[in-house]
Amino acid sequence: MEGFFSTYGAAIVQMALAGVLALSLYLPLMAGQLSLASPGFYAVGGYVAALLSTQVFTGYPNGSYPIPLIALEMIVAGVISAIFAILIGIPSLRLRGIYLALATIAFVEILRVFALNQPWLGGAVGIYNIPQPFFSATRVEYLLLALPLLLGATLFVARLERSRIGRAFIALREDELAASAMGIRPTYYKVLAFTIGAILAGMAGALNAHILNTWNARQGTFDLAILILAYVLVGGSRTFLGPVIGGAFLVALPEIILREVAGTPGLNPVIATFLRDGRLILFGVLIAVSVFFFPYGLITPNLFKRRKKSAEPSVETATAAPKVSRGEL
Amino acid sequence: MSEAIVLEVRHITRRFGGLYAVDNVSFAVQRGEIFGLIGPNGAGKTTLFNVITGMTPPTHGELFYEGINITNKRPHEIAMLGVARTFQNIRLFGTLTALENVMIARHIHTKSGVLEGVLGLPPAPQEERAVRQRAMELLELVGLAEAAEMQARNFSYGDQRRLEIARALALEPKLLLLDEPAAGMNQNEKSALSAFIRSIREQFNLTIVLIEHYVPLVMGLCDRIAVLNFGQLIALGAPEAVQNDPAVIEAYLGE
Repeated sequence: MEGFFSTYGAAIVQMALAGVLALSLYLPLMAGQLSLASPGFYAVGGYVAALLSTQVFTGYPNGSYPIPLIALEMIVAGVISAIFAILIGIPSLRLRGIYLALATIAFVEILRVFALNQPWLGGAVGIYNIPQPFFSATRVEYLLLALPLLLGATLFVARLERSRIGRAFIALREDELAASAMGIRPTYYKVLAFTIGAILAGMAGALNAHILNTWNARQGTFDLAILILAYVLVGGSRTFLGPVIGGAFLVALPEIILREVAGTPGLNPVIATFLRDGRLILFGVLIAVSVFFFPYGLITPNLFKRRKKSAEPSVETATAAPKVSRGEL
Repeated sequence: MSEAIVLEVRHITRRFGGLYAVDNVSFAVQRGEIFGLIGPNGAGKTTLFNVITGMTPPTHGELFYEGINITNKRPHEIAMLGVARTFQNIRLFGTLTALENVMIARHIHTKSGVLEGVLGLPPAPQEERAVRQRAMELLELVGLAEAAEMQARNFSYGDQRRLEIARALALEPKLLLLDEPAAGMNQNEKSALSAFIRSIREQFNLTIVLIEHYVPLVMGLCDRIAVLNFGQLIALGAPEAVQNDPAVIEAYLGE
């Protein structure tokens, strides 16, 4: 087990962060808005943590950077991301569908080019020597921070989904015109969903800046937007569990699952080599296949309903009877 | 403005390109009345509903609700003032349950924000219980209580229309706009609907404007009727008077 963690520690931590990023994209999607801005806020969060830890909270020897300061950086990153989100969200959330996706991608690109040309953000080199709280080669200790972030974000979204605000989001997703006829302010709730998502992405970026030890304009770009979208679509976009499972699964797939399968003793060496070297090809193929076989994602709300019903068959038959008589009326 | 007038439509025109969907229409709806809006297909009835609820801005004219000028208000603002509607081409939240559909419409009567909802702080838990209970009562009222956990899109046409009415009532409106409530219902359901609309008017002190094609329902139910043809108001009055109006007969039957 120790060997497993020392090999895959970093990947396990990234599984948790992928879940958080997937939730950050899932939130605006919950309100019916396809936003690909998450990597932008993730980049902003990373720079916030990088600047704070290398220029403000200095004087801690590497390996003993205080964890509460990282938590504080994550909060600051969340607040700054929220401000960005409100400023960007109010004009851009007037756009719909693919146009909103395009506008948010433009935002991600603008940030990237901006960071690339700003000396105070380290230019092309970025900010490096971001202090570490642990002496760790495997980075698995970062689970101490990444797991609470993932759990917190998951619980938050799960509770939100069942609340008044979450229902307003979902109403907008289902039918914006009908939702507005029910007194739901479309712009306000779209910006709110977008902003909460931005906070999660910013916090994930702040944490990852420490994990990666360096932060530059290559973090949080267009490719990441597409990956995050895949986490949500493969995992399922109709319940909070979809993005969490999708993120963890799609990070684990090339980095852990395929490598482990390739290492199976007695496996044909040609296949093993292909599994190891061609794992990114297989990753792409598996995404395509899963979208084909699970168009609504691996995790759908009906999954839970069906299980609940089969567990309590008496309830189902009891409710089925009056349904029939009502239909005959 | 008289206190007896709930909705006043003043010279409302809505043009789509060269087409006058609604052409200089004026009328006033009295408090507590059931006001019918009839006319052949394409006469502009639904467009007028869309203008009243802020979904389609008028080209000209003004709208007053309870003496407030609502001409340029957004749909959610008009809903918050107490105007609820149903849709001709049913617009339920299809993948949600009947109960969730009605619970969503309690939005303006609740106020818990993100943190209250997520952390379960007051007033969220109390509100949640009250909303669920109220939604169940309304489902009971329209006869859908036992199907509360069923997805709205799986309902029959008639049941979907009833669910839309329950959802509209959850807003606690003073003015209820029903767009073809009897469409897709069978004969029995149609006659039951008439009694039902009267009963909700009493129970909730409603003023009701309804669009309907099914003439017996309109004649038996409405206190007054406005007839639209090619966007223009061609008759307005009690059902019997309208029924015998030569202009109305011509519009419906042709010369």
